[in-house]
Amino acid sequence: MTDSKAPLLSIENLSVNYGAIQAVRDLSVAVNEGEVVTLIGANGAGKTTTLRAVSRLLKPVAGRITFMGRDITRLPADEAVKLGIAQSPEGRQVLARQSVQDNLELGGYTRSNAEVKIDIDRMYGRFPRLGERRSQMAGTLSGGEQQMLAIARALMSRPKLLLLDEPSLGLAPIIVREIFDIIRELNAQGVTILLVEQNARLAMQSSHRTYVLDAGQLTLQGNSAELVNDERVLQAYLGG
Amino acid sequence: MELSSFVQNLMNGLAIGSVYAIFALGYTLVFSILGIINFAHGAVFTLGAYFTYTLVVGQFENNGLLKGINLFPDGSPFSGSAVMFGLATILGACAAGAVAVLIERLAFRPMRSRGADPLLALVSSLGVALVIVNLIQLLVGAEIYNFPSDAYGEVRPALSFKIGEKIVIIRTVQLIIFAVSLVMLAVLGYVIGRTKVGKALRAVAESPSTASLLGISVDRFILITFFLSGFLGGLAGTLVGTAFGVAGPYFGVVYGLKGLAVIVLGGLGSIPGAVAGGLVIGLAEAFVPAEYSAYKDAVAFALLFVILLVRPQGLLGRNLIQKV
Repeated sequence: MTDSKAPLLSIENLSVNYGAIQAVRDLSVAVNEGEVVTLIGANGAGKTTTLRAVSRLLKPVAGRITFMGRDITRLPADEAVKLGIAQSPEGRQVLARQSVQDNLELGGYTRSNAEVKIDIDRMYGRFPRLGERRSQMAGTLSGGEQQMLAIARALMSRPKLLLLDEPSLGLAPIIVREIFDIIRELNAQGVTILLVEQNARLAMQSSHRTYVLDAGQLTLQGNSAELVNDERVLQAYLGG
Repeated sequence: MELSSFVQNLMNGLAIGSVYAIFALGYTLVFSILGIINFAHGAVFTLGAYFTYTLVVGQFENNGLLKGINLFPDGSPFSGSAVMFGLATILGACAAGAVAVLIERLAFRPMRSRGADPLLALVSSLGVALVIVNLIQLLVGAEIYNFPSDAYGEVRPALSFKIGEKIVIIRTVQLIIFAVSLVMLAVLGYVIGRTKVGKALRAVAESPSTASLLGISVDRFILITFFLSGFLGGLAGTLVGTAFGVAGPYFGVVYGLKGLAVIVLGGLGSIPGAVAGGLVIGLAEAFVPAEYSAYKDAVAFALLFVILLVRPQGLLGRNLIQKV
């Protein structure tokens, strides 16, 4: 039985290296069910590294990652998906040489064919632009469409935790707004989200709580609504 | 050239070319997934032929440690009918596939898990190839072994027909090679292009990290790829062994090297490229005039040099220099 107060995801004293470089040092983050939590920080602060560690693409050198009460620190990446963690990675990483339809099908790789079929129709309903382009090669989609595809693909595994890595990257403001509307809706439907963003203001406006990373270490944390007015955050990340 | 000679050469070229294609596909599959060349592929080709020979004949009576051992004192169940011979071929290819998986575990994986330079994996596979080939020699000697002519039962050895005044001969074995290759390619094309497993394989080839994020076990697909690669290599080896005899443990070396020429000609990592490259080289070899037939093997490598000068990405390969 899981304690209803225990976080869905718990990162404790996480340290991750890239070779000799300590990318993340002694980081602790908690994400409760139903929340949107965001990690903000400058380029190279360790945000993507953290998400990659949660998705188990990277092996931590220290610390622990707990998901739904289970220690997943050493779990293989493909099993993390089966447990309910999905990611829309940095740069979208759509499978460029396969179609939109194939990308979505592969998103549902861990599920049955029947379930996948139902969910793909649902995705096309939610993202009509993807439906229009279903036979197109994913590499020919615009940036915004690729971001939608990356999110839809991640949703295909019916994740309990959705990791979003810089969804606004390289997108025009109007498209960014559209993407963040989607994020808000998803959360309203009950999807728990851990969001990594360089656009600090937008991230904090769209989340319940914020963690601030600097050079791999946690410097600030708190409710987004409060932190957005915090002097230190304003100066460092919000241009004020 | 006379029409009859042209047709004869064409038939020969297509037959050997399709074997080259099947064999080269083994290289292509591994290259697509890991980005490296498996130099033990030629040894797996050789093993395929020897495995099938073991099932069909059951003994290597000329030399080696296993001399004197007869698996089937009352005659092999795999000899005497086309169906059983076909079964032996498939089993031999499967055994070759299993060896390829073993090679991945022993030669490639340790390098990968230590983050070694890909070049080291290449050298490692070369080492494995030498070990395998020498092991074969130790066990069964270096003599040539020919499949008995009644191994596939009552089958006409060849078809012949007349064009003009001359006779064109197509050996049954050549027809079988061509048919098997076509079927193999069709099946492979279907599996890779249209099935869930095939799409997952392509995903792993395109981006292993993205594939992992979708719940695909990259490890398992590397295994599947090596098995497929070994199966194709072993199948090609059996086909060649059936057609031309199992010409000693080193008979896979030339094929191993030519296979590299095939994939560079066709385009590294391209499946249609491997097929095109195989057929082009097969046909080119077949049309070498009789007086130069001793230099036939050079054709493949001459084409290799030409393509590297003229179109380095190969006939069907993508541009090597990517636009940023």
